[in-house]
Amino acid sequence: MNPSLIRLLHLASPALPVGAFSYSQGLEWVVESGSITTEAAAKQWISDALHFALARCEAPALIALMRAWSSEDKAEIKRLNVEFISTRETSEIRAESLQMGYSLARLLRDLDDMPSSYREALGEMSEIAFPTAWAAAAATWQLGEHDAATSYLWAWLENQVMAAVKLVPLGQTAGQRMLAALATDLPQLANDAIARAAENNWENFTPGMTLASSLHETQYTRLFRS
Amino acid sequence: MNAPLPPLVTEQKHSTGWQASLNLRVERRGNRSALTHNLHNGPLRVQKALHPEGDDVCQILILHPPAGIAGGDQLRIALEVGNNAHAQITTPGAGKWYRSLGPTANQRIHLDVAENAVLEWLPQEVIVFDRAIADTETTVTLAAGAKAIGWDIVCLGRTASGESFRQGTYRQSFRLQRPDGSPIWRETMNLQGSDAAMSSKLGLADHTVFGTLWLAGIKPDAALLEALRGLSISQGTCGISALPDVTAVRLVSNSSEAARKYFEAVWAIARMHILQRGAITPRIWRT
Repeated sequence: MNPSLIRLLHLASPALPVGAFSYSQGLEWVVESGSITTEAAAKQWISDALHFALARCEAPALIALMRAWSSEDKAEIKRLNVEFISTRETSEIRAESLQMGYSLARLLRDLDDMPSSYREALGEMSEIAFPTAWAAAAATWQLGEHDAATSYLWAWLENQVMAAVKLVPLGQTAGQRMLAALATDLPQLANDAIARAAENNWENFTPGMTLASSLHETQYTRLFRS
Repeated sequence: MNAPLPPLVTEQKHSTGWQASLNLRVERRGNRSALTHNLHNGPLRVQKALHPEGDDVCQILILHPPAGIAGGDQLRIALEVGNNAHAQITTPGAGKWYRSLGPTANQRIHLDVAENAVLEWLPQEVIVFDRAIADTETTVTLAAGAKAIGWDIVCLGRTASGESFRQGTYRQSFRLQRPDGSPIWRETMNLQGSDAAMSSKLGLADHTVFGTLWLAGIKPDAALLEALRGLSISQGTCGISALPDVTAVRLVSNSSEAARKYFEAVWAIARMHILQRGAITPRIWRT
């Protein structure tokens, strides 16, 4: 079997200790404010987030960063890292990427097969976005771009669906039904992300999500950190 | 058949549209912020440079005589605010992106704010006509100690006459950066008419007006945030978030009037808090 499959499963696993489960990216606010109350509405929100946020900015950045890591272009890695961080719309969405990036980078530095030049580059960045660290692992293990983007999107999707199950709330079966339905879009979204990898094609215009995230900062009771 | 009316401005029209540029510099001369460089080419110019609140602040009204930007037009605005100077820019009326028969209308704005300088960038709202094909990029470069307060309010379609933005393209890109080009904050949208993001709750949620106000060059400030969060918008939704070097205030609405009133209120509080200056509303906004 293909050894890279195991690496992909590892990187996309909810057991990866980066704390992904503690972020809802504004979903907690739209549920609290009564804007999303049903399985169908939650599914639409998550699907739109995949199409308009993940596939237009975060996943394209992941691909651009994988290319920079693969060519060991340290200056380009650092440049793309700050470019991506500057696309984070709110303090919570920014903090989420940096906290997960920090945790993953720390983990990667302890892995035996991480090249020393990668370790060094990770150590030199004061702030590391999550896709920057994830791309370092994907490049180390020479994962294909399409497989990597699909896995990254899957990990995000699984986490968001689990957040919806807790927040709306929904039954486990409803969650699995949503995952199965939305997963069918991922291969195409991965293609879109690859086509959009050049940094001037990144788009981050999701005002509804940005407002939800901004308003989440002052939400009275919260389970999630974003 | 009637002959077409001659153009009202004297410049020659480029074969595919107007080419216009404006290069401005505001410098500190003693106690005065003065407009020291003003070079225009084509239909884009300074209507007035005023000092309505004394010598410190140079208020500049930028006029685009054709009133709207049509397909093929290319507008360039470059402004430098020199060390310790204070420039406030606004426009005498709403901007318009006209319907295009094919070519893209294009605008590039470069705002350089030098050390300890202040820029207020307060254009009136822009209206994107149905079938407009528009591409606008704004780059703000902030040196050490520089501060900038600015906003953009965009109305999709001439909603007052029942028009919605069904076809066309509106691309808007904003970049806040340091003098070495490294980014502080960037936002890019590329909206197609009838884009699914226009109706999505995660996007515009069927609102036709959206806006972003930025307070740049300031650290997150709890007292300012609390004061700003005490404001509300009369129609629509607003939200505020403080990033490390920029605090962003955003809104969606169906009323450009509500958007403007809200941003004016935010501006008034921010101006007092950040610049220790009361808000003196530019007279042109009330005419």
